[in-house]
Amino acid sequence: MTGHAGKGPRMTGRITRRSFLNTALAGGAAYVTLARDMSAFAQAGPIIIGHHCELTGGFASWGYWHNKCALAATKLINEGGGIGGRKLELVTEDTESHPATGVRKLRSLVQRNNASFVTGSVHSGVMLASIPVATELKTVYFSTGEATEATSDKGTRYSFRTGTDTYGLAAAGAPWAYANLGKRWTIISPDYAWGHSHYKEHKAIIERLGGKVNDPIFVPLDAKDLVPYLSKIPQDTEVLFSVFFGALSVAFYTQAKSMGLEKTMKMYSVSGTIEAIAPADLKGAAEGVYIVENFPRMVKYKDDAFHRQFIKLIGTDDVDGRETDSNRVNAKSHSWQSYENLFALKKAIEASGWKTKKDDKAVIEALEGLQMENSIGFPQGSKILRKEDHSGMIDCYISRVENNELHVKKKVTKEELMAQLPPRVDLSKEAL
Amino acid sequence: MTVSHARVLGLTVLVLALIAVPYALPALGANFWVNIIAEILIWSLLAASVNLLLGYLGLLSFGQSLYFGFGMYGVALSINAWDVGFWSALAIGMAAASVMALIAGVLAVRLTWHYFAIITVVFSLIFYFAAMSMKWLTGGDDGVSFTPPPVMNLGGYKLLLTDPTAQYYVILGIVAGCFALMALIVNSPLGLSFKAIRENDRRAALIGINVYRTRLIAFVLAGALAGVSGALFAFFGRYASASYMFYHVSGEAVVWAIVGGASSLLGPLFGAGALIIFRELVSNAWEHYLIAVGVITILVVMFAPRGIAGSWNDLLHKAFMRRSQGADPNKPAAVIEEPR
Repeated sequence: MTGHAGKGPRMTGRITRRSFLNTALAGGAAYVTLARDMSAFAQAGPIIIGHHCELTGGFASWGYWHNKCALAATKLINEGGGIGGRKLELVTEDTESHPATGVRKLRSLVQRNNASFVTGSVHSGVMLASIPVATELKTVYFSTGEATEATSDKGTRYSFRTGTDTYGLAAAGAPWAYANLGKRWTIISPDYAWGHSHYKEHKAIIERLGGKVNDPIFVPLDAKDLVPYLSKIPQDTEVLFSVFFGALSVAFYTQAKSMGLEKTMKMYSVSGTIEAIAPADLKGAAEGVYIVENFPRMVKYKDDAFHRQFIKLIGTDDVDGRETDSNRVNAKSHSWQSYENLFALKKAIEASGWKTKKDDKAVIEALEGLQMENSIGFPQGSKILRKEDHSGMIDCYISRVENNELHVKKKVTKEELMAQLPPRVDLSKEAL
Repeated sequence: MTVSHARVLGLTVLVLALIAVPYALPALGANFWVNIIAEILIWSLLAASVNLLLGYLGLLSFGQSLYFGFGMYGVALSINAWDVGFWSALAIGMAAASVMALIAGVLAVRLTWHYFAIITVVFSLIFYFAAMSMKWLTGGDDGVSFTPPPVMNLGGYKLLLTDPTAQYYVILGIVAGCFALMALIVNSPLGLSFKAIRENDRRAALIGINVYRTRLIAFVLAGALAGVSGALFAFFGRYASASYMFYHVSGEAVVWAIVGGASSLLGPLFGAGALIIFRELVSNAWEHYLIAVGVITILVVMFAPRGIAGSWNDLLHKAFMRRSQGADPNKPAAVIEEPR
């Protein structure tokens, strides 16, 4: 599905000679008025940014929020005068949560809809398949998923990510969890790029600290019954690190609880496992679980005007991130990227004086090392888009589910994170 | 003008139109559609592999995605592991698919009708799940991406797939070559054997045709066609994924072949073309467009069972028969298409 933000409904109905003349006269008058009033906003034409989004498929419950965030940012940017005086036009294509479809839709965004930049997928498989194509199409592509490869060995000069990756999340949470939760770990995750990437990164840190990591348990994406996989968890496990999403998360928490795993081991997860899910909806199954968040679910743990204005714009409450007029829960630790990426692009475009695709090099150079201050454009907090690996250095939060709410236990600042996270690549040296 | 003249004229127009695509569409501001036409050409080969079995031998296969997947991985893995060139990777993809088709075909072609359809699905599912679980090799659902090597390297000049025009012509050339080869085969004595078996395998055996061997040859040829299709799709997407080995990909190819017209050489091209263009136009506005594809397929099966190509042929026959009867009402109409 393609959506053009801001387009109105089509006119329908029979046209008579009278209605035609009326319309022509009214249209002519409106045209003269509008033409006089239009500023540079229209003279240079809109800046088209593509949104490569999971509206259907396995990640649809996250994609809904990515779409909502991107639309909110577009509205806010246009109300504030657009980007460099030009209107921002957001074009959205549904990746169907499928890598091959995602690649086709990325081509559609760039070649069919003439998107100059793309804020991209949260599905690791889709974004990893898309980066080579975006690079070939010489188009800046922001990943919003976590597989670290997108900004390391599979990254290019065109690939960016304002949020964290598995490398960053491991650096943010694993040392604390090792010190406070236990030394012997087992990971259980879906059998795809995201889970594998988390296993690799966490194993490296835990073993470096002197801990032991058991063989991973990878669960097929289409599994419904997790009991055969949960029963493989070794008895000596002190920390069970789980990485799931959507229906698999619900199955994991409820089935793990029914097996009483939390009585013998500490449960530790990354935010993805509880994205778009309110702990209360799990009826206590997630109680006591530690979660590494990118953006605290409860507003009181980052209590400022920008955060409050952001949740008002998105239309959610300040405890669960639940939509005010539905039961949907914001995939908040990821969806903010679809909002902030548009502001990051606005900042880089305006700083570089970008006018057309010919000026992309200047935008890329402006994005490399971009400083973003806590503001309504960057409500997650101040951050840096590190020059070398094009990765966002952000504050992270280690929270615990208590009384069905996510309470922050420790804040890991971006400075602490950067100290643990030396860049592995220098993408800024790649020729354009 | 006769029906055959009209057909030659239609084919000439089609070929000229396909050659003009990389220049005509960008001139109209429709660069994106060059890639869509390239995709149609690739998928039409997969539909042609279904057609070779269904249209010429009467065997309905729901397992062609398996050979498509082998073609994909033949390309992706050989480039990543051995750094082979374009043509070697293409040959490896086709060879891998053909060998797999030979292994599956040895068992499958002993069966006919729904038993044949079921065993092709079973083979497809076995290897799909194997590929999904062998993540270290296949990348599973995430797939394997690669950088395509140059198609040609003459002195300092490199023909690269990153040039959309070059990519399109490479795909067009290979697909056209495959269709030409298929035309030669179906019009050869071997092709006549296919049709004889389709019409009545017992009679075919009585006149000396080795039914099992002939079916096996067709099965391997169809596997090779699907393999080339998969190899081209891997080059096109710079990517191979186990998800393409799932039987629903075969199901799509069956739909394209039926809508386009099974037993017609170019029917799969028309079917894939019509439904992929439909997808591109409708899926932008309606994410459940597959419901409409289902309805179209049902309508075609009910009201135009010979598909687009068959309906076009019927139209030509009617037009020319009326004209020839108008010229000489006493002259009987010529038999211009062999009966099924």
